[in-house]
Amino acid sequence: MPRPILEIDQLTHAFFNGTGIHDICTRIFPGEFILLAGPNGSGKTTLIRHLNALVRPTSGEIRLHGRSVTADLIFTRKTIGMVFQDADTQIVADTVADEVAFGLENLNTPRARIHEKVHETLAYMNLIHLKDRNPSTLSGGEKRRLAIAGILVMDPEIIVLDEPFANLDHPASRDLVEVICRLNREGQTIIMATHEVEEVITHASRMLIMDGQGRLVKDGPPNELLGNLERFGIREPCFSRMGYTAPPWQT
Amino acid sequence: MADLTLFSFQAGTTVLHDLDIRVKTVLVCMLSMVLFTAGFSACLACFLVVYPFTCAMGMTLSRLIARLKGFILLLIFMAAARAVTVPGEPILSVSGIEITRQGLAQGTLVGVRFFLVMMIGMLFAATTRPAALKSAAQWFLKPVPFVPEKRVALMISLCLKFFPLILSRAGQTADAVNARCGSVRKNPVRQIRFLTFPLLKKTVISADHLCLAMDARCYTEHRTDPAFEHNGRERLFLGAGTGLCAAMAVLSLDAFWMIFW
Repeated sequence: MPRPILEIDQLTHAFFNGTGIHDICTRIFPGEFILLAGPNGSGKTTLIRHLNALVRPTSGEIRLHGRSVTADLIFTRKTIGMVFQDADTQIVADTVADEVAFGLENLNTPRARIHEKVHETLAYMNLIHLKDRNPSTLSGGEKRRLAIAGILVMDPEIIVLDEPFANLDHPASRDLVEVICRLNREGQTIIMATHEVEEVITHASRMLIMDGQGRLVKDGPPNELLGNLERFGIREPCFSRMGYTAPPWQT
Repeated sequence: MADLTLFSFQAGTTVLHDLDIRVKTVLVCMLSMVLFTAGFSACLACFLVVYPFTCAMGMTLSRLIARLKGFILLLIFMAAARAVTVPGEPILSVSGIEITRQGLAQGTLVGVRFFLVMMIGMLFAATTRPAALKSAAQWFLKPVPFVPEKRVALMISLCLKFFPLILSRAGQTADAVNARCGSVRKNPVRQIRFLTFPLLKKTVISADHLCLAMDARCYTEHRTDPAFEHNGRERLFLGAGTGLCAAMAVLSLDAFWMIFW
């Protein structure tokens, strides 16, 4: 059994109105593709913000390689790359290349190395032809790929994606699934928070389900949890409801 | 060029696009200062030098006038105000209000100066990426004591990024309000309640998300210093620009003393 990268131990974050997440306990292992599913307001975003130490818990702890994520914020945020739901508010620079360089500049990386890494990452994400474009002129799918490139350039061990398919059309969603699966095949650990599981459920190696009260209620292989989804307010994939196997593009 | 908006960057390959931002900033500052005291002949010299560059950007005089029409109206109003307030030799009198030759000359000169400053500003904005502007601000502020130049530079950059976003959000909010007949009610208090407050809320939330996104990518002030682009013609432009400014200053000596007298 490999050592876990992340250990979430009785994590609770209570908001003033009583909502939040409660007693979350789980472990994340290298190379996993985890689907964090739950209805709106179940606390998915709150949970993944804790992974990056962007918020402090009411109680409990998250350990990254055995150390609290709050102990060394730079190490935590370099190791766990986070892609936010709204790409527009995540993008800070005025060209695609500058946007990808932002994280490396923050790490005080030498300029020559930044150029090299940015070029590599843009080529990997198929964005090299757009490197001088203003990010605001990109399509939704391109913006999402840019957001991933912006964290991929920092060589994270885990990539956390918050509702990556929000506001994307079907072809853009398919492209994004391909990118994420390629990253996972190459050894990247993926955690994806979503309430629309249809696009990725057959690629995920593990699924965590949160209920409307912010509790982690199911943890297991996605194929074993398919029948439980509707009970927790998550739409069951069409192929599963109709008794079919997964369509070819998903496999 | 149809999509060129006032003071927006326009990608291109002109010599000004590749010129070091620091040189461009110095030239713009020098020209703006000299224009402050420039006479008609100096303004004409400045126009003849700057206009070919604006043409290269696709901004012909007619397009410039079309884009700056609101501003030009303001300049005409300013010139008219000067024409009737500056004492001198009257050339026209309407209902006791006298338009003087000196006032008209001064008003026109001020209008021409402002127009040229706007033209130079538009050219600068059209050929300069906001990121380069941030780098220049950081470089110029570095020797100033007690000024956190990296923080100031980032604030400039974020303002430049957020301003169009806020305008876009304002448009969306206004559309949403008007779609439910919000425009029928002209009460300004209602407009503040249903337009300004939602816009302010959205802007603050966006700023909060941006802060989180920057934190998530390890934002610190100890960042890699910016890189500057050079095209090898910086010395030439600096020399030519200094020469132009000197020539304009000589041509403007009369106008300069006019300020004190």
